[in-house]
Amino acid sequence: MIEAQGLTKRYGSKTAVDAISFTVEPGRVTGFLGPNGAGKSTTMRMIMGLDRPTAGTVAVNGKPYAQHHSPLTEVGALLEAKAVHTGRSARNHLRALAATHGIGDKRVNEVISMTGLDAVAKRRVGGFSLGMGQRLGIASALIGDPHTLILDEPVNGLDPEGVLWVRNLVRYLASQGRTVFLSSHLMSEMAVTADHLLVIGRGRIITSGPTATVIAQATQETVRVVSPQATDLAALLQGPDVTVTSDSPGVLTVVGATSVQVGELAAANRVVLHELTPVAGSLEEAYMSLTQDSVEYHSSEVPAAPTQEVAR
Amino acid sequence: MSTAVATPPTTPVAAAPPKGRLSFLHLLRSEWIKFWSVRSTFWTLGTFLVTMVAMILLFTLALKSASDPSDPDATNALAPFILGVAFGQFAVAVLGALTITGEYSTGMIRTSLSAAPKRLPVLWSKGIVAGLSMFGVALIGVAVSAALQWLFFHDNGLGVDLGNSQHVRALIGTALYIATIGLLAFAFGALMRHSAAAVSSVLGLILLVPIVLQLVPWKPLQEIAVFLPGSVIAPSAGLLITFTDREIADFQTGSIGAHLTAWQGYGVLVAWVLVILAVAAILLKRRDA
Repeated sequence: MIEAQGLTKRYGSKTAVDAISFTVEPGRVTGFLGPNGAGKSTTMRMIMGLDRPTAGTVAVNGKPYAQHHSPLTEVGALLEAKAVHTGRSARNHLRALAATHGIGDKRVNEVISMTGLDAVAKRRVGGFSLGMGQRLGIASALIGDPHTLILDEPVNGLDPEGVLWVRNLVRYLASQGRTVFLSSHLMSEMAVTADHLLVIGRGRIITSGPTATVIAQATQETVRVVSPQATDLAALLQGPDVTVTSDSPGVLTVVGATSVQVGELAAANRVVLHELTPVAGSLEEAYMSLTQDSVEYHSSEVPAAPTQEVAR
Repeated sequence: MSTAVATPPTTPVAAAPPKGRLSFLHLLRSEWIKFWSVRSTFWTLGTFLVTMVAMILLFTLALKSASDPSDPDATNALAPFILGVAFGQFAVAVLGALTITGEYSTGMIRTSLSAAPKRLPVLWSKGIVAGLSMFGVALIGVAVSAALQWLFFHDNGLGVDLGNSQHVRALIGTALYIATIGLLAFAFGALMRHSAAAVSSVLGLILLVPIVLQLVPWKPLQEIAVFLPGSVIAPSAGLLITFTDREIADFQTGSIGAHLTAWQGYGVLVAWVLVILAVAAILLKRRDA
């Protein structure tokens, strides 16, 4: 369990993280989603006690990370690929890390084979590919068999096989009752990995909730209608929650009404339809609509999730 | 190079979870693994040993050629050791700095500080491991030099007398001085977090500052020079421990500034290390990693 209260980090006049409060619950995968520079890594470094918050507090399993007697068995973190001395072999890196807590070579060998590093464990880390570096970072995070895992962009640089492996691994760890907190700037990845989402933009939490809910709220369903009486239909559909736009004569794009509603309205008013197609918004569109205000450089307040009320 | 197979997580959890606990002894063990698992350690210590032994033997050879049995200075077998120190200390200084700056340049420091989030024990254990290791290797360098010198030159009266407590103190002092200069570089490294900056600071302090202070004909500066941590040849506090009491008395006769004993001088060197390390420790605790 990770609990942040009013967590803030300023670098000079720039506010990287702006008074955010959130809770990451055990037993599920919580995704920390936001564009580059939104404050994800800074937040994670503050959780790990590496960056000192300008204001606010963050506790892991009840107390600040630094106050745990056995930090590595409490929290395992992958903060950035290759936070590793490039001149040391992967195995020696893990041995040195394990040694800080008196963890033996048995566990080192375990995490090496678990992360698929057997073939390269004796090689110096400097020659590792990005993917290998990520695997070593994940191995480092797992070394203490921690209750809580914090992974910053764990799938960066991994091949599809590796992405799938990380996804299965974090879901498995969460199913054992552990707290799993992972960041990504890829909504499509989060949609299939995370149970719960925390969306951040420009240092503020934009929205949070179960993944399906967040996506549904952000995803706009539109209906494409082709009709010879398009102008009449547009007038009929017009309402406070419904917007109708038209790119070309006879073709309407309806936002705020379902295809069922449009079809029934057309039938009731004897309007001929040539085409009636529900168009689901893509995840990318949803993500863009969630974060567009946070990546643009204007000084207005970041609004709450700009959800379109759907008339049902 | 993707040779690894993405195996599904069959055993992500240890059968018997590791019962780890952070402790200072464990940190020492970790730092020991770290110190001896990078190539730079072997490169710098190898360079140190070769330089030291070679310089001492070469200088002893030169002494032998110029040997005049009636001149006691010409048969001082300890005299060549100062050249071994003068040149050998730089490799050890580089190692001392790299021990900590290597972690900053690679990002490893964030892994180290995540594992030991109270931070200061990381600095102390690193310093202890580096200091003891450098002292051990310096002692080996001194022993090998003395042994080879005796082997080749004792017929010419050029051999260290291990029955002479002054000689023994100067030899152990030589190893102490070298290890402590390594720790001075370590302290600069912890303060500056940058290899080049730390190494050039130490080199500047040892090579340039003593010369500059001697060149300026102003008495107070020369009084300060006595308290410098080390130098190449000019007398400085830290270097005194590498000489016998008689040698110290010789060059202190009529010299400007405080007349420190060997151990007082070494105390000054240690004070330099501790003060810089203390500032580094305060910053380590305060700064973001």
